[in-house]
Amino acid sequence: MTRETTTEPRPTGATQPARAARRVPLATLVVVGLVLLVATVLVTVAIGPAGLSPGEVARSIGGHLGFDVAPVPRLHDAIVWELRLPRVLTAAAVGAGLALAGAVMQSLTRNPLADPYLLGLSSGASLGAVAVLVVGVSLLLPVAAFAGALLALVATLALARTGRTLTPSRAVLAGLAVSQLCAALTSLVIFWTATGDSYREILSWLLGSLAGSTWQSVAIAGVAVLVVGAIVLTQGVRLDAFAFGDTAAAALGIDVDRTRWVLMTLVALLTGAMVAVSGAIGFVGLVLPHAVVALTGPAHRRLLPVAALAGAIFLVWADTLARTVFDPRELPVGIVTAIVGVPVFAVLLRRRQGASWG
Amino acid sequence: MGLSSDAAGVDVRIVGAGTTLGGRWVVDGVDATPPAGALTGLLGPNGAGKTTLLRLVAGLLNPEAGAVLVDDSPVHALARRERARRIAFVEQESASTVPLTVREVVALGRIPFRSLWGADDDEDAVPRALRSAGAEHLADRAWSTLSGGERQRVHVARALAQQPSLLLLDEPTNHLDISAQLSLLAFVRDLRITSVAALHDLNLAAAFCEHVLVLSAGRLVAAGHPSEVLTADLVRDVYGVESDVLTHPRTGRPVIAFHEPAPDPDPTSKEPS
Repeated sequence: MTRETTTEPRPTGATQPARAARRVPLATLVVVGLVLLVATVLVTVAIGPAGLSPGEVARSIGGHLGFDVAPVPRLHDAIVWELRLPRVLTAAAVGAGLALAGAVMQSLTRNPLADPYLLGLSSGASLGAVAVLVVGVSLLLPVAAFAGALLALVATLALARTGRTLTPSRAVLAGLAVSQLCAALTSLVIFWTATGDSYREILSWLLGSLAGSTWQSVAIAGVAVLVVGAIVLTQGVRLDAFAFGDTAAAALGIDVDRTRWVLMTLVALLTGAMVAVSGAIGFVGLVLPHAVVALTGPAHRRLLPVAALAGAIFLVWADTLARTVFDPRELPVGIVTAIVGVPVFAVLLRRRQGASWG
Repeated sequence: MGLSSDAAGVDVRIVGAGTTLGGRWVVDGVDATPPAGALTGLLGPNGAGKTTLLRLVAGLLNPEAGAVLVDDSPVHALARRERARRIAFVEQESASTVPLTVREVVALGRIPFRSLWGADDDEDAVPRALRSAGAEHLADRAWSTLSGGERQRVHVARALAQQPSLLLLDEPTNHLDISAQLSLLAFVRDLRITSVAALHDLNLAAAFCEHVLVLSAGRLVAAGHPSEVLTADLVRDVYGVESDVLTHPRTGRPVIAFHEPAPDPDPTSKEPS
């Protein structure tokens, strides 16, 4: 039994890209990603009105970390350490978290359009957070955001499930419904309670903004990304198994229900942390995993770490644009990610016409 | 058991297996013993319970009555990973939006053997499976560019990478051209693995299966060698279609020539669709 033809004649493998054969080693990608991330941090912290240089930035950070470096003028040091570095690091952590969350959601729902934003998690988290901000529900903001994300997740999955399986298109439709409901409730809360300036603050936050980042934001987003990221990385092989759907995953020995709930709860946790520090930033989770797959291939133990690094670098630059393009006015970063993200997504969509999406 | 005559074969016994869906028994008290090391065809009209019975045998669905025993262990009691190392399941029209290459699709079959970090103790399993499924030349192709027949063959290669002792296929010949249908079933038959394939085409079953099981409304109504089971009476009773059963001039196997549907088939044998 050898290669008899199973099909109508068609061009042989020669015309198809032999992608699997020569993929860049993961270690190389991670090292390059880390170098780019560090360079990004040094350069973007320097960008802005004060006229800093990346060298000064490095010296300021070095000084705070206890290295013996030439001192930086006090004002510059304060701009780096108190204002820009927390913001840039928060952006990096949030970007990494959003990319991770998007990659995991896309695999679990088998929908390339899935991300925490589209599945309603971000809106749920926003609702929870706004309730805390405006109504003054006495919960910590991240906790409320996590609770909101989790509730939205439960609602989306409950709506989307038919029988025992989750179909890709229903997941997104259900997510849309939940996200609309959460958005309406959020508007209601704001309409009912907010006064004067708090409108603008809440709006910029709903669109996603990193303007209020502090070292506390770095801690919340950073810990969430590192902890959830580490756990999710151990689930790479399980995520691979979902490529052909729930039944195929189950037939490969995966506990589909348990894996989905554990991973989605982790994504909700991550989304809660992200939204708590930066509001709901769209398109990072949607676009970055697709862009990175071209480089890493779809195996999750390669895809996830590289997507996280790429998301971090991407969001830092997006936020840098957000705070500098219309200087001194500042755009919510969510607008920048949408403006950059949608065309990238369109390109990806056209490139992959052959694949069956949806 | 005594049925096994081949090292690759595993003994499968379906003992009074049944399960309900929405309060109706979609598989109802099925007793069957697919022969070890051979291809068994699972036949019956739409809605007869073929897919559900395959899922019960695969351990993807727990029986509400009876059991499926593989080498005397109940399938639903096996640990998931252990089960996936013994039983491979090829779904009907399984598609993916993930940009996988053929090699990566076949590698999915190694998941039950991988450690947490993805290490596999048998690095040669994937190339071997590609080779034995005659899909080596496709290895670096993007999955999305394959034809229906190539996809099905790659799915079988993926199943072989699981090194199964029981191979289950749900309508593997659906939407394939005739050459792809014939070569796929000949290939599965020649594997000499205990295999059960749900099939719509009675003539394909007659030509390639060592044994057929015929389901109607969730019950097993006939089992045995195709030449004993596939009679004009059975086709009328189960499908409500008149036919003449001829003998293939080269293989001696039955060939069923259908007439137009019988004007007034026995209503109890018709399946609500």
